[in-house]
Amino acid sequence: MMTRWMAMVAVVVVTAAACLSENPGYQQDPSWQAPAEAAKRPNPLAKKPQLAGGGRKLFLRNCVECHGEDGRGLERKHSADLHLPVVQSQSDGTLFWKITNGNQGRGMPSFSQIPDLQRWQIVLYLRTFSSAEPPGQVH
Amino acid sequence: MQTVLRQAVLVVCLLGGISLAGIPLAGQEAPYFVTYDHHLEEPGNLEISVANTGGLARADQRTYFAPYLEFEYGTKAWWTSEVYLEWQSTLGDSTIFTGWRLENRFRPLKREHRINPVLYLEYENINEASRIQKEIVGNASEIGVRNSELQQTAAHELEGKLILSSNTHSWNISENFMVEKNLSQDEGFEFGYAVGISRPLATLASASNCRFCRENFVAGVEVYGGLGSTLGFGLHNTAHYVAPVISWQVSDNTALHFSPSIGVTHDSDPLLIRFSYTYELRDFGKKVAGLFGR
Repeated sequence: MMTRWMAMVAVVVVTAAACLSENPGYQQDPSWQAPAEAAKRPNPLAKKPQLAGGGRKLFLRNCVECHGEDGRGLERKHSADLHLPVVQSQSDGTLFWKITNGNQGRGMPSFSQIPDLQRWQIVLYLRTFSSAEPPGQVH
Repeated sequence: MQTVLRQAVLVVCLLGGISLAGIPLAGQEAPYFVTYDHHLEEPGNLEISVANTGGLARADQRTYFAPYLEFEYGTKAWWTSEVYLEWQSTLGDSTIFTGWRLENRFRPLKREHRINPVLYLEYENINEASRIQKEIVGNASEIGVRNSELQQTAAHELEGKLILSSNTHSWNISENFMVEKNLSQDEGFEFGYAVGISRPLATLASASNCRFCRENFVAGVEVYGGLGSTLGFGLHNTAHYVAPVISWQVSDNTALHFSPSIGVTHDSDPLLIRFSYTYELRDFGKKVAGLFGR
């Protein structure tokens, strides 16, 4: 009985923490726009969806601190919920440009030290947030 | 001497144990020891490094070890601050504390460009026994003098650097130009340079959480040296090194760096062995603020 109560409390606490940590009210910075040429760039890995698994690993290493493990953003970090249409409607080139350049004014650092192809892998993984099934899991 | 080495080994083993236990950490970084690139610490993160510069002596000199601790904090996305504490131990002589340094790096441009500038400003409160050789400027230093003498000579120094760095097709190319002024002695303005190039061994990330994947290694080479001073500009009596560098991202937040630096002039040490162990604490600033109810 006691164990069941503790389990229920744990579920409530974890759920509440998860809900509180999300950032559904994320407002995009209107001045943070990729140049037209950069926005048009296609993802060279678009035909290799299996590489999204590596993108997930890179996301967990570099992005979860601000965007959360589920990519829903953290309110205390004012970071984007990457599932939102306002994010998912952006082109691959735009997402790549934003990862590369960061947005210093809003506290997002540049990740240009990550090799080009690995940044494209992250874009590949970000696209999985718009679908129901997650991609290849990290083993 | 043995006690110092034992303590250093103990610290490295402890930190290594923590990292191999798989506590999450962040980001791939350049493998250089002397050259800076344009990447700053992520805001709110604290990176702690335990490092050592070991100098193999020429025939008439003694081998030394210069361990140092480095605390790097991301103050803002465009501003990183660092504090160094350094020591020096010469075989057959003594082990002494050689001082501290405070450095700041500022990134003036918001976006990535073909060449990315960073401005660097450092204050050093050290003495002449300092041997960490984080930068080589001016003319070659005297190594034959005993620590007890060198320790008496304080060096309050201001140093500025212009860091230029580019990322292109997974390669990083960085160039640093340095000028240093010793406020304690009239040595004029001393000049130095550092140039580095590096690349990860693999450009695609595998899905597995492997420690020894090629993508976790970055290799390159850096070249650095002094260029004299306003009292005598040029290559005469200056030290220059060519240094292969390699870094290994052991886990998400820990990295090992290693570099044998080969002295290429008579006034250089024949060989410098550099290594460092880096551990990054995420969100350190927020956690500290939380302790004070902020």
